[in-house]
Amino acid sequence: MRVLRGLYEGPGSHGILRVAASVEGVQAVLRAYPEEGYFSAIHGALTRSGDPAPVSLSPVGGPGLARDLQEILRRSPDAEAVILVRSEAALLSGEEFSDPVLPESSETGRRPKLVTCPWESPSLREIEAADLALEELVRVHARPQARSLTPTVNIFGPPLFGPGAEEEAREVERLLNLLGIGATRVPLGTSVGEFARLPRAWANIVLYREVGEAATRFLQNEFGMPRVTTPPLGSAGTGAVMRAVGELCSLDAGRVRRTVWAELARTAKLPWYARLAVPETFAGRRAVIFGDFTYALGLGYTLAREVGLEVAWAGTYLSQLEKDFLFQAGTFTEEAFVTDDPDEVAARVEEADPDLIVGTHLEGDVADALGIPFLPLCPPVAQNPFVGKPLMGYSGSSVLADALDGALGNPPREHRRGGKARALGWTEEALEALEDVPAFLRGRTRRLAEERARAAGSPTVTPEILEDSRP
Amino acid sequence: MTILNESGVPDVVSPLHGLSGLAEDLGDALIVVAGTRADLHLSLSLSGPLPGSPAAPAPADAPGLPGVSFVLLEPDERPEGGILTSRIFEVASGSRDVGVVLIVACRSARLLGVDPHFEAELAERRLGGLPVRAIGISEEASAVLSKELVDETLRVLVGLSPRGVSGPEHEEPLPAKAGAKVGARAGFLGRLRGRSGGHGAHDDVFERRPVVLLGGASGSREELASDLRRAGVEVVGSVPADARGGLPGGVPELPVVGEGTVVAVLDPYLVRAARKAEERGAQVVRTLFPIGVDGTARFIGDVVAATGGITSEVVHARQVWEGIEHLRSRIRGKRVFLTGDSGLEIPLARFLANAGAVVLEVGTPRLEKRFLGVELSALGSDVDVVEAPDWRAQLERIEAARPDVVVASPGLFVPLVARGHLCRSSLALLALDPRGYEGARRVLALFAQTFERAEALDALNL
Repeated sequence: MRVLRGLYEGPGSHGILRVAASVEGVQAVLRAYPEEGYFSAIHGALTRSGDPAPVSLSPVGGPGLARDLQEILRRSPDAEAVILVRSEAALLSGEEFSDPVLPESSETGRRPKLVTCPWESPSLREIEAADLALEELVRVHARPQARSLTPTVNIFGPPLFGPGAEEEAREVERLLNLLGIGATRVPLGTSVGEFARLPRAWANIVLYREVGEAATRFLQNEFGMPRVTTPPLGSAGTGAVMRAVGELCSLDAGRVRRTVWAELARTAKLPWYARLAVPETFAGRRAVIFGDFTYALGLGYTLAREVGLEVAWAGTYLSQLEKDFLFQAGTFTEEAFVTDDPDEVAARVEEADPDLIVGTHLEGDVADALGIPFLPLCPPVAQNPFVGKPLMGYSGSSVLADALDGALGNPPREHRRGGKARALGWTEEALEALEDVPAFLRGRTRRLAEERARAAGSPTVTPEILEDSRP
Repeated sequence: MTILNESGVPDVVSPLHGLSGLAEDLGDALIVVAGTRADLHLSLSLSGPLPGSPAAPAPADAPGLPGVSFVLLEPDERPEGGILTSRIFEVASGSRDVGVVLIVACRSARLLGVDPHFEAELAERRLGGLPVRAIGISEEASAVLSKELVDETLRVLVGLSPRGVSGPEHEEPLPAKAGAKVGARAGFLGRLRGRSGGHGAHDDVFERRPVVLLGGASGSREELASDLRRAGVEVVGSVPADARGGLPGGVPELPVVGEGTVVAVLDPYLVRAARKAEERGAQVVRTLFPIGVDGTARFIGDVVAATGGITSEVVHARQVWEGIEHLRSRIRGKRVFLTGDSGLEIPLARFLANAGAVVLEVGTPRLEKRFLGVELSALGSDVDVVEAPDWRAQLERIEAARPDVVVASPGLFVPLVARGHLCRSSLALLALDPRGYEGARRVLALFAQTFERAEALDALNL
């Protein structure tokens, strides 16, 4: 039991609902208590889609799952699959029921497929559950298919509420089309019917490994489909993906190279930015990056190798991917770590005192408090529900170049690293009082107290100054 | 008026939404949400503006939600008694001017074995007498109202109000403060405890019984208090309390609620808070809620009568109606559908019907028939009340009826707008403070503005 100021990811049920609501023809039934039905409000707020969320609540303690399913399917006769989800509280309640038999659709006469999540548990978190739910849907529906005559690939992107999900998948699809490769986007925007045809494709591209890992591994093991797992972030990452896909689709390497060059000349601005900015812009400047898996690694690599910043450390909130993350982060930084506590990240930021923070919305406060330029580029970032700016592909690299130009355009800030030598002293009593402040507020409290002491011309922080400075 | 129980699943935004707004209204409350990842995620996810709600000011420069702290329980832990208390102590020690700590013990916390009332008692002792109370969502009810936690919070505040001169000042005697680390408010509370009766204790100057306003927002409370004083009534305070300068008051500013107090309830969802006041011996006035012109007039008349006075609001109400005739003309004849998620919809429907609108349906997740008895009997004979409406069925009925405007819950707002329906969110109506005569004008102005904007947009040649 601990005090937390924010959460990176939600419960497992939320992840399953995000995947389910991404796929046309899937109806999700959430077994939960009456106060837990909130998905539709978030769905409306973030997607602003005209369709109500395909999620129905089956209240624990209500008339019963079987009756609820009858009613839900009566009102959703075109549902092709029903995924049964249980909330954390429903799982903790110990409520048990056998898998229900779904009624036939009054319109089609067919019985929707029932998808259960037997691996669901209260300790499973959003991202991992989303990954498993997508695999479950693919496993239930995918059927052996003859390979398409012309090269096609499946793009496994983020699910609903993903970071610029539509835009990023569209950008990658555009690049593939330039190579003459057709693409199917999964899961957002796909349909149950298309799940059956996934094995027709020549390869799977995993844009967002957090949610595409299990499904693409299943397709690899079951249907022998190769996959590309490099995130198309930055010019180097995007080029690597295009070359890998070209090879898997047996394309002429010269054609791929010409396409990449043309895009580097026309679309990608990151290489230009790296060359146009004077070396002093980057020399000695340190960035830290924290967040998910894909963006934290892809952007970390890009900042270190393409831009030339020193990445002091990188980290992720996703503990289930720890081993993989630490291994890959080792290619561009000396230090990598995993935690799910935003306050630990804040403490590390304060210690590192970097010139740039790339993170999630949870790192905004510490960046603001320390006056460090902050780029909230790691998902979830949902301030722009209509159009998310893509970070993937060559267009995305230009967005990144603009963001970096804005963040690093000013002269380097005075570092507290040097400033620490001039740090104010603290009386024993003030230090004792500081110990009473919760850990997650301590850094902020210390800063405010020192500012107050400086303003008052005091060489030391006293308990009185500390008390006066608290907001 | 007919009441139909559809036994469906209504679209109701979780009561955990808007916790920081609640904390802000209370002034000196620290809200500690204890739950699993799902509960904390829900609280944080719903803290942003929801569809149809007015833009909220950006949160203050503070992490998380201002005034709200989160204690995360892992699903595989079996917390020992007292652990939550330690976390509450940690949070309260880092906060200033706390007058009361409210533990929102989510269902999952209780399922994991947390006894919130035990933890509250323990925390209160550790915090040297600072009031700590557990609040939660009713486990028995089949449906929740979106304002459920507000009801629970005010129930607690009623319990913390002084009982009056003759009784003990607090329902549960607070131990002497062991330390002074919890902030200035707590010190003030200690000083206040020494007074007889606390703020608003009525003395012999007033012969009539004093009135306490329960619920509402500071603006409408001020307006209604002024109306009641005009009628010769002494309004000694409100729950939640108000301080000078329109700022939220804290526990020290709570008025006496007990024998001899008349409690005037401003909101239709304050069932438990009103019951608590009755349990303390206060008289809760059963009347219309002060929503709409006639509702406000009847409210003032009945509250005055309960204090032993007499007044007539007929002339004043007529003047108000005349003053808002231009707005009333915009709603007259309009067909309105209220999907219902807060409980506010029933008095709102009554007002709109009085103003000349045709109310097609008013939904409510749960109907407290006894508490809302006066309201229900005042609804027009043509109005259908649907208890526990199924949201899909409501969508179908809205599609079939094509109302002129829908007062929609947040989950239905976007799908209805996408289907071409003119919508206002229930959150927008709550946010504009619909109570009192001025509130009636604001409600009609909101609808008039809605129609005007729709006409302007429809006139565009896209």
